Amino acid sequence: MKALFIISGLGILAMLAEIFKFKRALYPLVLIGILAALVANFTEFNNNESIQAFNNMIRFDNVALAFSSVILITAFLWFILANDYFTNETSLTDHFSLVLFALTGALMLTAFSNMTTLFLGIEILSIPLYVLAASKKNDVKSNEAGFKYLIMGSFASAFLLFGIALIYGATGTFDLLAIRAKISEGMPLFFYAGIIMMLIAMCFKVSAAPFHFWAPDVYHGSPTVIMALMSTVVKTAAFVAFMRLFLVGFGSATSVWAMAMAGIIALSLIISNMTAAAQSSVKRMLAYSSISHAAFMLMGILAVNPIYSMRAILYYALAYSVATIGGFTVLYRVEKQSGNTYDDFNGLAKRNPFAALGMLICMLSLAGIPVTAGFFAKYFIFTALIGSTYKWLLVLAVIMSCVGVYYYIKVIIAMYFKKPTHQEPLLIEKSHTLLLAIAVVLVLVLGLLPNFVLSV
Amino acid sequence: MGYSITQWLFGILSFLAIMFALMVVFTRNPINSVLYLVMTFFCIAGHYLLLNAQFLAVVHIVVYAGAIMVLFLFVIMLMNLNQDTEPQKTLMTKLIAGLIGGVFLAVLVGTLKGAEQLSFSQTGASQIGMVKNLGIVLFKDFLFPFEIASVLLLGALVGAIMLGKKEIK
Repeated sequence: MKALFIISGLGILAMLAEIFKFKRALYPLVLIGILAALVANFTEFNNNESIQAFNNMIRFDNVALAFSSVILITAFLWFILANDYFTNETSLTDHFSLVLFALTGALMLTAFSNMTTLFLGIEILSIPLYVLAASKKNDVKSNEAGFKYLIMGSFASAFLLFGIALIYGATGTFDLLAIRAKISEGMPLFFYAGIIMMLIAMCFKVSAAPFHFWAPDVYHGSPTVIMALMSTVVKTAAFVAFMRLFLVGFGSATSVWAMAMAGIIALSLIISNMTAAAQSSVKRMLAYSSISHAAFMLMGILAVNPIYSMRAILYYALAYSVATIGGFTVLYRVEKQSGNTYDDFNGLAKRNPFAALGMLICMLSLAGIPVTAGFFAKYFIFTALIGSTYKWLLVLAVIMSCVGVYYYIKVIIAMYFKKPTHQEPLLIEKSHTLLLAIAVVLVLVLGLLPNFVLSV
Repeated sequence: MGYSITQWLFGILSFLAIMFALMVVFTRNPINSVLYLVMTFFCIAGHYLLLNAQFLAVVHIVVYAGAIMVLFLFVIMLMNLNQDTEPQKTLMTKLIAGLIGGVFLAVLVGTLKGAEQLSFSQTGASQIGMVKNLGIVLFKDFLFPFEIASVLLLGALVGAIMLGKKEIK
């Protein structure tokens, strides 16, 4: 709860910085603020006082606190990655406040327990992002990304609202727990239509196939740092919302949505991995791979396992976010030097051995090779799902993971076994070296001590 | 079975709302489309009145029909949109869109079956739309969403300014 206030307060402070001229002090202030929010989160842990604030509109229980901590950690790492996104004199404070407002929405989504807070959270998260996607104002692709994201996002929001309206019509309440209690009394048919519409809307938001068409274009067109934000913080937040809605709210109506979700997962796995393997740009490959990771996290929801589902998704979100941030750090520097195709990674091991090693470990983690965090993330998801009726999905997921290994290894081959196309060494500034080191250490520590997160 | 005045009004308003909404989609000229949308909003405001929600009805007309639609008209006139520049859809696209829309409609209508047996016992529901009661609900039960909506508005505002302003040289 306090974290939410701190982050939204920081967003307003960022706007004041323009008037009172402390723009230079803003960057350290925001980093300190996020750390403070993280500390506030830890103090609230296992402390039931703040659970039922505001008439049960928002509910910061332990699950919410754990996920919002993951989001805050990722956001902190992201701010280190994106340091030169905040150097443009004209729109420095705007960028800060938009990112912080989006973060406010993300925190709300971890803790909502009412349909109104869900809808507001999704909108607070999305609207700043539409603008941020278009923030490279002179680039046509960035403009297209922003516009596409706006249109598709509004479309999804309309579906969400329609779903909420139908569910409200059937139950007479917005409260998730009250809805859950009412499901067992038997519901009219249009209640289930409402659930399906909300499923569609949430799949839009997490970019699961067949509602993924906007994602590669939007991700590819946006500035690289914004893409990093979208595929880590935003994705995690959307997933927590998805999970809370379907496990807490509609957990006892699985007969309606489980089959549809299994189909969505299968489609996402096949389409994203097959298309990712065919890409020549690493940035676009990462966009498609984020769809495939979305499918894996959806499998955690499909398991509807009260103990394992949430933990598996928590671990997956953390492992995926950290490895992605690490990968983006290298991609960002390589892109600044030359471009974002596989060829630009050629011979990186000679041009900057440390960056190549960092990229290697992050890619291995995303591919799910043992010892890294990514392996255990997939392992926990599979364990959660193995008890359910959807065992055929596991087979498909394992096959598609192998396809995934192919396109992640392609980056590694380019870095270590190909002759460099650019001879000059790749320079990485100190803060980014530090960030990469943190990401690598986190990936390895999470992989070696997975129980650390699961004990939450 | 005789119908009361409210039921007659409900029927007429619903008919008009649906007709105007269809006209929004089917008219080729964007300006006519916007005007039909304004009419749709008026019909929906009428529905709010029938539900004894005067405040909502007034706000609906002032905000949607008044402010937002005027903005729409301005944009359409400034961008000089007319039907010549609108790209023609192929027959295939139309067919698929019609099919998907039709299936969607069938599902929705199908699920509404059985809804007529639902009954609600809402005590004091007839007074809920009055400004006073609305204010009490907004500032008591829905205080958090009400306050956090300000962050949403701020975000949209900052975003619009960021996209609109000139670069400092």
